[in-house]
Amino acid sequence: MQDPGNKKTGLIFFPAFDWAISPTHPEREERLLYTRDQIFEEGIMDLPEISEYAPVLAKTHDIARTHFCVPRVEDRITEAHLIAAGAAILLAEEIISGRLKNGFALVRPPGHHSMRVVHGNRGFCNINNEAIMVDYLRRHHGIKRIAIVDTDVHHGDGTQDIFWHDPDVLFISFHQDGRTIYPGTGFADELGGPKAFARTINIPLPPGTTDESILYIVDNLILPILEDFKPEFIVNSAGQDNHFTDPLGSMKFTAQGYARLTEKLKPDLAVLEGGYAIETALPYVNMGIILALAGLDYSSVLEPDLQDLRESGEISGYIRRIVETHLKNWEKRDEAFAASQTIKGDFFQEKKRIYYDTEGISEYRSEKLRICDDCPGYLTIETSASRHFDSSGTALCISIPFTACSSCSAEAHDLYEKTKKTREYRYMYLQDKPQDIFLSYDFNTGKELRSEG
Amino acid sequence: MYVGVDVGGTYTDAVLLRNGAVGATAKIPTRSNLLESVLEALDIVLKDVDTRDIKRIVFSTTMITNLIAGKKYDKVALLLIPGPGMNLKYYDFKTDVIILSGAIDYRGREIVPLNEREIEEALVSLAEKGYRKVGVVGKFSPRNSAHEKRVAEIIKEKYPDWHVELGFQAGPQLNFPRRAVTTFLTCATREPYNTFVNSVKEALAKRNITAEVFILKADAGTLPLENSVEQPVETIFSGPSASTLGVEALTPPDVTEVAVDVGGTTTDIALILDGQPLLSAKGARVDGQLTQVRTLAVKSVPVGGDSVLELAGEEIVFRAERLGPAYCMGGPAPTPTDALRVLGLTSLGDEGKAREAMENLGSPLGMSALETAEKVTDLVVSSITNEIKKMFKEWEQEPAYRIWELLHKKKVKPSIVVGVGGGAEGFIKRIAQELGCKPVTPPYAAVANAIGAAVARPTLQLSLRADTEQGYYIIREDGIQEKISRHSFNEQKALELAKERLLQKAAGYGLKVAPEEIEITYQEVFNMIRGWSTVGRLYDLTVQTPGGIALRVEMGGK
Ligand SMILES: [Zn+2]
Ligand SMILES: [Zn+2]
Repeated sequence: MQDPGNKKTGLIFFPAFDWAISPTHPEREERLLYTRDQIFEEGIMDLPEISEYAPVLAKTHDIARTHFCVPRVEDRITEAHLIAAGAAILLAEEIISGRLKNGFALVRPPGHHSMRVVHGNRGFCNINNEAIMVDYLRRHHGIKRIAIVDTDVHHGDGTQDIFWHDPDVLFISFHQDGRTIYPGTGFADELGGPKAFARTINIPLPPGTTDESILYIVDNLILPILEDFKPEFIVNSAGQDNHFTDPLGSMKFTAQGYARLTEKLKPDLAVLEGGYAIETALPYVNMGIILALAGLDYSSVLEPDLQDLRESGEISGYIRRIVETHLKNWEKRDEAFAASQTIKGDFFQEKKRIYYDTEGISEYRSEKLRICDDCPGYLTIETSASRHFDSSGTALCISIPFTACSSCSAEAHDLYEKTKKTREYRYMYLQDKPQDIFLSYDFNTGKELRSEG
Repeated sequence: MYVGVDVGGTYTDAVLLRNGAVGATAKIPTRSNLLESVLEALDIVLKDVDTRDIKRIVFSTTMITNLIAGKKYDKVALLLIPGPGMNLKYYDFKTDVIILSGAIDYRGREIVPLNEREIEEALVSLAEKGYRKVGVVGKFSPRNSAHEKRVAEIIKEKYPDWHVELGFQAGPQLNFPRRAVTTFLTCATREPYNTFVNSVKEALAKRNITAEVFILKADAGTLPLENSVEQPVETIFSGPSASTLGVEALTPPDVTEVAVDVGGTTTDIALILDGQPLLSAKGARVDGQLTQVRTLAVKSVPVGGDSVLELAGEEIVFRAERLGPAYCMGGPAPTPTDALRVLGLTSLGDEGKAREAMENLGSPLGMSALETAEKVTDLVVSSITNEIKKMFKEWEQEPAYRIWELLHKKKVKPSIVVGVGGGAEGFIKRIAQELGCKPVTPPYAAVANAIGAAVARPTLQLSLRADTEQGYYIIREDGIQEKISRHSFNEQKALELAKERLLQKAAGYGLKVAPEEIEITYQEVFNMIRGWSTVGRLYDLTVQTPGGIALRVEMGGK
């Protein structure tokens, strides 16, 4: 996609100064206030290399193309979420259409902890802005191969979940080791579903990792893999909580490190994720990312309290080993992988328990992937969530992937129609991505809603 | 009685308003000496008037525009205190720039102190280069002006006769590069502007005029002549303000309208939304550089009644150049005015000559005079309407930073198109038709600019920022910083304080403002949370005296 020419970097700055999860929550009105002050004072919006856009709202159908919101999309989001997702979509469209060189959706609320099924807010996220944008591009612009590189200190477990079985979306996340931070996942052996081996790559990092190691990973693992994968579009989930001053993370990144990373990665679109050092990190990291995207000199973007940050030799050794391990995994990516003990007949099954920290919800999921020789197979998810022991009933979600074969599509539709006649569930949804149709069925009222893109 | 004088590039217009109606008008060619033009026009409209009956005179002049365009000012150097951040190599401030150590952050905290020795060395080198005028501009200086003020003190000590301008006063908004440019221009123009103001005062005194005198600004507000020397650059581009206010005064209140001022070779377009002239989201572009000067959102299209028409291959095109009047009025080349004459859309000039002009232009393309005239009119009208549509679109797409703002953005559609200026009449019907609006060419359209000047009201703005964690508030424009109590300070107090300060400022300017008239144009409150508790609040407020026009002018005149 990269065709610099004299095209501009598109910027949507949407700080949502009137939205917060709760008054004292890290995800609150004030979060991007000092970032605004910095980029306005620096005159960033006046630069000939930058073009500022006003965001637009995503449509609920755009959300339903990616997520199963229980019971409905409208119940799980606010306008702020539609704006953040809409901003990512708008910039992606401008980039794909060749009107922009690249872009940065500097928006909140974030989204990378939102999974396929949404019962509420988890990890400050309701819906996954990047995933919604990726599915939009695939639907409306016929883009097939997409890479998402998540540089937030937290594992992008939502994005991983959404693209787990998708061989066409490469998801790479580096983050602080899950044993030491939310959400407690993202270990090196989480490598994707049976039909998408090594399309998920997790690089857990020890607390205290510095710019040097991160850039080593970029140079020696991420860039070579991208080179092989040849994505048509690269997305960066640009969380900034790896910064050495972040109150949630324990890493040692700097604004310079983030800018350099951006310059190397050359994402088509960066989307802000976390980052909660709102005074000491965000104004500088955001500026570094913007300048790097625009191809401008960022060498003087320095935090006032910048110190000499070093990491232990132990960390550097570990980094070299994990890079080796993943390069081997990547080489084996096309060898058939199936943990035979978990495949019963034509289906691959997994059970998951997902905790929504923000709202105290426990979700139980049972997933079945249709194993098919001609396509990635359709996925069914049985999900039930309990909020303070108050269960919402079970929902059945059926998702037909973009590249589904006709027999998988037909089978999934059949399943939906047959299940309608039973009373096993409270709600049922069918996401037909190839046809861009979304159906939802309420078993209590017998009402079906249909939306089409 | 109110008097308005607008000194434009080509003409100087004046009107006298008596009991809300036009009492006298004047239109004379602008001379190279602006003061002479002002006085000549003034003398025409004040003939037979007892000068004691004049309540107010408002001038709109190209004084600053001419000064800057002609670079008729002493050289000015910039001492910049940028601190970390953007690399300054991307900016060309078109003068000698010396970078000083020191840095302030977004909350006005000092990150890096000044280095006084370095400052002294910088001054020596400027003195060697013959500079006596200096702009001192720091990043985030509106949040804390201490560094700028300290540098000014040192200059005053070492070079007491130097003229120094500080960034926080000249450019109090958040935008460092624009602040630097605005400070440079302020420093460059202050002295010559001061001379101009003094000569205006003298001339008025000679005529026994004791009325209050104001100068129109780019944002359609006015300043007392006396005080306008504080921010001379703000008086730049007052011409479009004058015509826009004129349109407002000559049309019904609260409408959404487009003001189209068709001049000789340019057409100025301004938008009035629900009765309020639309301000540009950022500051004016002056001589190619972006500034913090508040200005109306005016767009210029390089076409007017006297533009030269010619063929470029198979196409009729216009050149943004005037060779003389229209062909039908004895000029050398075909113009849009000739096209209007052929179509009977204007009564100016000789019809036979107009036909001849259109025939000569269109015959190589096998077009008749009438066809050519139609084509030319379409060309002019579409270039103007395209720009109008673009302006509305740009306004709709202006970024918003709050959900509320974004959801309440509405699509607006103008209901009338108002033509002012010499060449407007013939085109206005077609432009309005194209936009689905009603065309209006008010009486006195030709001197609407002077009417606009006459009815303009004084406006004063004041911005207060309070940071309760740090325990102080500042008045941005004045650089005043005072302590506040962390616990008892609140939004109500912030507002009262801002209003009180504004009233004081107004009184200092000799303006009578009632407290209830004060408008709040910006209001922002943020809780500062560190850990999980509130450590303070940030208040940002801007208040202003009511803008708009002092009176509407009776449509029929007198
Ligand atoms: Zn995070
Ligand atoms: Zn299949």
